[in-house]
Amino acid sequence: MVHLIITRKGQVPSKPDEVLTQQQQQLITADLTSIIVQLISTAGTLLPSVKTIGQFGQFTPKPAAVSPEQQQQQQSNNSMDVEHNYSTTEEHEEHEDGETEHLPPGSYEILQLEKEEILAPHTHFCTICGKGFKRDANLRMHMRGHGDEYKTPAALAKPPTVKEVGSAAEPVIIKRYSCPFSGCKRNKDHKKFQPLKTILCVKNHYKCNTKKFSVMADLKTHEKHCGRDKWLCSCGTTFSRKDKLFGHIALFQGHTPAIPPDETKTVVALAPTDAAAAANKLADGSGLATMDFNSGAQALMDFKSVDDPAGAAAVASCFSPLNFDSCNFVGGFPEFNRQGFDDSEASFSFLLSGGSCNYSSQKTGGES
Amino acid sequence: MSILAVLTEDLLVRVNSRIEDGADRRSWRLVCKEFLRVDSLTRKSLRVLRSEFIFSLLRRFPNVDALDLSACPRVDDGMLTLLLARGAASTTASLRWNLRSLNLSRATNGMSFKGLALIASACSQLEKLDVSYNCRLGDREAAAISGIEGLKELRLDKCLEVTDVGLVKIAVGCQKLEKLSLKWCMEISDLGVNLLSVKCWSLKFLDISYLKVTNESLCSIASLPKLEGLTMVGCPLVNDSGLEFLSRGHSLKEIDISRCEGVSSSGLVSLIRAHCNLMRIIAGYLPELSAALLDSLKLLKNLTTLIINGTQVSETVLQTISSNCKSLIEIGLSKCIGVTNVGILQLVSSHQKLKVLDLTCCGSVTDAAVCAVADSCSSLVRLKLEACYMVTEKGLERLASSCLLLEEVDLTDCSGINDSGLECLSRCSRLVSLKLGLCFTISDKGLSYIAANCSELCELDLYRCTGIGDETLAALSNGCKKLKKLNISYCIEITDRGMKSLGSLGELVDLEMRGLHNVTGVGLAAFAAMSKRLADLDLKHCENIDDSGFWALACYSHNLRQINLSNCNISDVTLCMVMGNLTRLQEAKLVHLANITVEGFELALRACCVRIKKVKMVSELRLLLSSEILEILHAKGCIIRWD
Repeated sequence: MVHLIITRKGQVPSKPDEVLTQQQQQLITADLTSIIVQLISTAGTLLPSVKTIGQFGQFTPKPAAVSPEQQQQQQSNNSMDVEHNYSTTEEHEEHEDGETEHLPPGSYEILQLEKEEILAPHTHFCTICGKGFKRDANLRMHMRGHGDEYKTPAALAKPPTVKEVGSAAEPVIIKRYSCPFSGCKRNKDHKKFQPLKTILCVKNHYKCNTKKFSVMADLKTHEKHCGRDKWLCSCGTTFSRKDKLFGHIALFQGHTPAIPPDETKTVVALAPTDAAAAANKLADGSGLATMDFNSGAQALMDFKSVDDPAGAAAVASCFSPLNFDSCNFVGGFPEFNRQGFDDSEASFSFLLSGGSCNYSSQKTGGES
Repeated sequence: MSILAVLTEDLLVRVNSRIEDGADRRSWRLVCKEFLRVDSLTRKSLRVLRSEFIFSLLRRFPNVDALDLSACPRVDDGMLTLLLARGAASTTASLRWNLRSLNLSRATNGMSFKGLALIASACSQLEKLDVSYNCRLGDREAAAISGIEGLKELRLDKCLEVTDVGLVKIAVGCQKLEKLSLKWCMEISDLGVNLLSVKCWSLKFLDISYLKVTNESLCSIASLPKLEGLTMVGCPLVNDSGLEFLSRGHSLKEIDISRCEGVSSSGLVSLIRAHCNLMRIIAGYLPELSAALLDSLKLLKNLTTLIINGTQVSETVLQTISSNCKSLIEIGLSKCIGVTNVGILQLVSSHQKLKVLDLTCCGSVTDAAVCAVADSCSSLVRLKLEACYMVTEKGLERLASSCLLLEEVDLTDCSGINDSGLECLSRCSRLVSLKLGLCFTISDKGLSYIAANCSELCELDLYRCTGIGDETLAALSNGCKKLKKLNISYCIEITDRGMKSLGSLGELVDLEMRGLHNVTGVGLAAFAAMSKRLADLDLKHCENIDDSGFWALACYSHNLRQINLSNCNISDVTLCMVMGNLTRLQEAKLVHLANITVEGFELALRACCVRIKKVKMVSELRLLLSSEILEILHAKGCIIRWD
């Protein structure tokens, strides 16, 4: 139907007036296309459940020609917001405490920028192809490449002030932005999705823009925690600050702070929760040879204490000082033979009894 | 005919329950098999010295409900698993049911949240847990502890990595908590204490000493409905307004606000006015004692303990205290300025029931004051007169004639004391602890009286008493059989002969003998061979002891837990033997050992690295020792102090 309208409209001027200049024709086509675009966009707003999600680079499926007025509007919007947002800090928390705008879910369209785009130091974006620029003047130069309509003096001039834009009658599509990082509150997939207002908000919010890393690995590690609330309650609620978490726990019975799962404390590596498994591991001498010194030393220690998980009868025997057999199989260890000193007094008794001690003393055997 | 025909088992049980002294219990056990069995059945608490004997001990004492593992060289998850896991030894079943009190203080790093979680799941009756001085105990371990629902008493002293998160987990999980100690848990802040006050309504005693909490915490603590005792020594951020918050709370019985810089008399006054049932006030190092404070003491009818160390007093102050407080049993004026004879006279005149008096460093006190104390306070049990150099035998004579219940006397640095003074003092036959350090004018003669009459003596300090020699030791070994702790440092007259006689002190546990140049390896060996219970030995600067002495230590002193060998002439091999063979050794000071090479240290450290908890060495060794051994020690949780 759109095509028909265009062809008809195109046909109309060509029939009656051959005097019309090329320029006039172009103006008319521009008008027509703008009307078509409006039709389509209003049709879009009438469908509340449809959220047009697409990347900035995929703007092209939409009608290619955007009217100069719309473009001007967008630019002015951008500049307005740009001026407004320069003062916001880069802290995550600021946005959270600040504007909580209440937009009904379908009334705005959500755009999600790719991480690389956000990280680039651009503030002005082309609405057609999504290319970013540091300066508005650069953007305007770039727009010339999208078609002759942008070569008008009006388009090339600086964006108009607020007053002029306000008189435009077209409905403005509210655009909100989503953070590409999953798990972040500002991500469209998050339960409590709080959208960001402008692209600059996105860039400021995505802290990695301001944090520079020389090593890629550090950036990746940072990304794991970026945007994630650190304070976690046992009921699953996350909080950005410790005192908020504690206030929440004070209110409810049975809630406790939860320790996030990826925090690994330095625990003895081979502490045997499953004693049998540890014993099996130790019984396999080849496994030991591959361990490094420290963990091997721990293995030694744990072996001594988890000596005999299964058999109660063997427990007493493993601790008796004369039982060397179970202690000695780790002899292949590249370590000074500590076995002899540990827990087995018998190892020294025969060395010492032949010594110069002439006193008839009784060895203390049992406990005191 | 067995004794049970005459005395039934119930009677024997009752008699046995009154025996507290370890030596006495041992002699009970030796009587006959029935007595042994009665002892085994009634034994409730067990202090294990070596982990390998736990199972045999538990089999012998099936009714044990209090287990103290703090002296075990190595307590870790593995051992706890063996002890408590299902399917382990048969004795664990009764332990799981019975265990009410568990002491895991100073365990090594090997104990983690896994071991504690096992305790939580296995011991359903656990009420008392002590995990103090485990520096790496953190929030995960606290989370495991919070699984012990019936916990009533918990000590977390110096668990440095516990934060507010861990504290809150415990507060929420252990709702029945009555006694909690957070001393030195430096990560705890107001947030944690606030939430503790909201969740733990049963708290009766709380210790927040040295924490960086503010008045906010005191505001929350005031809301605890059952709080009876609060200890907050050295809290730097608390001041008088905080104490005012506390005034709104439940009636306290005990308060300790010593060394809180922001606290002054006015804070204490507001506290006293609000809590009329206070029984113990410990307020050391207040800037001054205002008239209002002294006046408010009248309101406290039940005050039994008043400790106001380190502050400025005067005769009027002491008189006011004397008239306002009628029922004091314990008075502490240690390091107070302005304590005079007149003041003491006025203080004690109205306190006939006084039992404990601390006049440490009150240098103006003379015999007159001591006589006044003796005349008024015949029930005196503990008297501290350190650095009261004007006290002489006249005072002691009056003291000994009226205060026959004296058990602890501290006369350190009292240069006026001589042998006749000791002769007088020896009349106090109930003496348990006597400190005579830096008394240069006493000699063997005076000590012989003490040794002859004070048979209950357990602790004797003769630090730098240069007049003391072998005869004292001989006399002590005959007369003071219960002696457990002895300090003969720098008593240079002592020779091998004296050391040998010390061997017959069967109960001796702690011996400090620094700088004894006349003692050689022979003497030490003779002593070591006979002294079976020795656990702490300090031999610093005993330069004439050779390897034969240390070898004997390695051979015989199996119970040795702490040793100081600094500045001794021990050799490589012998050091290795000492460190390796003494399987209970946990702390060693090895500074300035001239004959030990770096390899010698390496060897010795490797020999003991599994169980050693604390080592002190010269700082040069830090660079010379291999990184391997330092890593192992660190991994095992050993603390190295570099001198």
